[in-house]
Amino acid sequence: MSDPPLRLTVNGDAVTTPADGSERLLDLLRWRLGLRGTKEGCRTGGCGACTVLVDGRPTLSCILLAREVDGCAVTTVEGIAALPEGARVRAAFAEANALQCGYCTPGFVVALTGLLREPDGPRTAAALWEDLQGNLCRCTGYLAIRRAVERLAAEGA
Amino acid sequence: MIRPDAGAKLDGTAEYGTDLAAPGMLWGALLLAPVGPGRIRRLDLAPARRTPGVAVALGPDELRALLPTGGGDPERPLFGNGSVVYRGQPLAAVAAESLEAAQAGIAAIRLEVEEGPKARSLEEIVPEWPTDVGGIPEVTAHVRAHHGPLEARFRSAELLLEETYRTSGIAQVALEPHACLAEIRDGLWWVRTSTQTPFGVREDAAALLGLPEAQIVVEGSWVGGGFGGKGSSLLEPYALVLAAAAGRPVKLALRYREEFQLARSTLPMVIRLTTAVEGGRMTARRVRMLLDTGASLPGRDFATGYCIGFLLGPYRYDAFEVEGIAVRTAKTPFGPHRAPLAPQCAFAAESHLDSLARRIGQDPLEFRQRHAWREGDTTMFGQRVGPLGLQEGLARAAATRDRWRRDARPGVGIGVGAGFWSTSTGAGGEARLVLEPTRLRIEEGEREIGSGSVVRGLVAVAERTLGLPPERIAIDYRTTRDAPYDAGVFGSRTVGALGQAVQKAGEAMLRELARRAGAPGPARLEMDGDRVLLVAGSVRRPVEALFTDAERRAGGIPFLGKHYGGGAGLDPSRIDVGEFYPYTDFTASVHLAEVRVDPETGRPEVLRCAAFADVGRALDPEMVRGQVEGAVVMGLGEALSEETLWGDDGQLLNPNLLDYRLPTATDVPEIEVEVLEGFLGAGPFGAKGLGEPPIIPVPAAVANAIADATGARLAEMPMTPERVARALKLV
Repeated sequence: MSDPPLRLTVNGDAVTTPADGSERLLDLLRWRLGLRGTKEGCRTGGCGACTVLVDGRPTLSCILLAREVDGCAVTTVEGIAALPEGARVRAAFAEANALQCGYCTPGFVVALTGLLREPDGPRTAAALWEDLQGNLCRCTGYLAIRRAVERLAAEGA
Repeated sequence: MIRPDAGAKLDGTAEYGTDLAAPGMLWGALLLAPVGPGRIRRLDLAPARRTPGVAVALGPDELRALLPTGGGDPERPLFGNGSVVYRGQPLAAVAAESLEAAQAGIAAIRLEVEEGPKARSLEEIVPEWPTDVGGIPEVTAHVRAHHGPLEARFRSAELLLEETYRTSGIAQVALEPHACLAEIRDGLWWVRTSTQTPFGVREDAAALLGLPEAQIVVEGSWVGGGFGGKGSSLLEPYALVLAAAAGRPVKLALRYREEFQLARSTLPMVIRLTTAVEGGRMTARRVRMLLDTGASLPGRDFATGYCIGFLLGPYRYDAFEVEGIAVRTAKTPFGPHRAPLAPQCAFAAESHLDSLARRIGQDPLEFRQRHAWREGDTTMFGQRVGPLGLQEGLARAAATRDRWRRDARPGVGIGVGAGFWSTSTGAGGEARLVLEPTRLRIEEGEREIGSGSVVRGLVAVAERTLGLPPERIAIDYRTTRDAPYDAGVFGSRTVGALGQAVQKAGEAMLRELARRAGAPGPARLEMDGDRVLLVAGSVRRPVEALFTDAERRAGGIPFLGKHYGGGAGLDPSRIDVGEFYPYTDFTASVHLAEVRVDPETGRPEVLRCAAFADVGRALDPEMVRGQVEGAVVMGLGEALSEETLWGDDGQLLNPNLLDYRLPTATDVPEIEVEVLEGFLGAGPFGAKGLGEPPIIPVPAAVANAIADATGARLAEMPMTPERVARALKLV
């Protein structure tokens, strides 16, 4: 009856874990793997707080079943600093004061890191910004985040 | 400087309420009333107990057996005691080995509710202004005040304008839903929780559970946004009783749908304003405010007597009369939301002001300047106005408007909004500063909620008081058992009120150290490498050398500062009925908005905003900018799209982010922030509260820009495309 185990890579580590047919990737990461840096917000794909990278692509982990990432590489905020773009994003956010309560921050950091790593090369701040509109922030009014994005785009990060 | 909490928030290690966990913990879930007001005919928890994984199920009967006194506040029973007062009210709770099991247990509960008579809406309860308020059973608060010759001014008026404005409910929508973790340990009831007010949670939970406050210990987690929604208690008492019944830690967290339904926030208002103009000047105003307080209990309303003053605005009149009525409806009880009701009141009052100015052919901005408070003026309730950046803000707004007009695209409108706020310096607090040989520690019960008021605000006060660099000042978060009392993070009070306690503790520290060093006179601290030095007159000594043996063993010297303020100066002769609250420490906000309205759809687009913020003293300019920008964007949400939609029985119809629309990254216009310093407030070094003031004028400025662009006056907020289209008669 039971499904074959899930095999995936999380922040560079190979993980084998029992499959639970209805489990969301978000819940697998947070409660079975203990990676609670990925935040639980609306659980309906509306806020972006749960964004992780799946094979490099920014992905909402709350509306993705864990079994759908079988064989994939997942990067969460805990693993983001190991990527050069991730480290630059974190530094830019800190310097631009682009966070307040911080609850949306992991989602923004991961999403932006994923966008900066896209194979087509660096993009304009405006294009990056357009792709970040699925990430909600309730504290900053977005402007400080935009300043961080503009700095990163100007650096060609 | 980089805020000290940035690291933990950027690498994912900051632990929020939703992240809390403990070995062996159970997951809790609540049975929320699925219908509006009614009587519970049957509540059978046995099927929940038989559900696999369920450890405990609690209803009113189990609670009476569990709690030593059988329960707390009889007016606020945790599980309703036989009746449903509002839809979504908790009626039972379950704890289980997993969240899924807990939810299955909740689903298994057999509940039958006999629905009561259909609840009435605000305008059904008060269809026209009543002469006998006491005859309306739903009234929860009634206030009235007056001053001056209102009727005479109304009779002699050249223009007497009456307008009615309506506002909607809104929700805080902190990205983190409410969450906590409870545990019974050593006879104490512990709860870790995402809260703005650890001591408020302790007080409220003790009252609800009938326990002494000393038996409850509250520890704050990081808070994923508060905005007024995480004060007092919500989930904590339920998590505590589940933990007590199960003998294991219990995690309780809301899902978003529940969060929307249960979060206590702003509810609709109907506002009627009548103003007399004579000789180009407003001479008298009558205010009628009708406020929906949801299923709130009578006598617990803070808002009516506090907020009604915002409908007079920061302006001078010869005469006024204000009357406010709060009524009970079937909605979730009313609660505070960033600058409670002030943006809604300013929307009405500032729209009305613009209407008056346009009727008599005056420039709306100059019309405001003619009436705006100056230092030394007396408010409508008899209070004296202190230093205020209002006239300065209006003057700067005029200059910015001129600049915008020069480069504005055709078809746009520019609107102005103004408002005042009162930093809640009345609510008290204490701060303990512990001076160690190499640093200063500030022992705190309340957590940083994001604004920076703790991690930068209180630190900046200590910095300026003592002379130490910020990297040598650490916030040491404590539980309510071992932190000094403080009322919490609300009312823009952290720096303004608790900061005064920090300042007093710091000053006491310097005095005592100087006394010990035999160097009376001005003293400060300074770093010498890794050591903290006392510098006073010719004395320069490591502070450690001034410690007693006991202090050296303890690792530092504690100094307690207390600030228990209180507003004063209400003129009782002006108050007829009800409770009014004095404002403490006036602050002003003036904003501009530039708006274009799509001529075919009516959709308003905000192109630019400018905010002129009367902050007294900017202790950390970066944090100031963050608060102002964030408030403007949150205010744009209130102005344009945010609205809770309620069914007749109190069901929230749009409890999700698709149907309750928040501003997104691409909705945000350019925002110019000008900080006005020097109109000093009562806070440390003249700092005024600034978390709330900059949200107040935003909907007003947008409404006035829409009117400037199109001539259409919006009588209801939010100003959705549909409402604008109707006002323009496009549909």
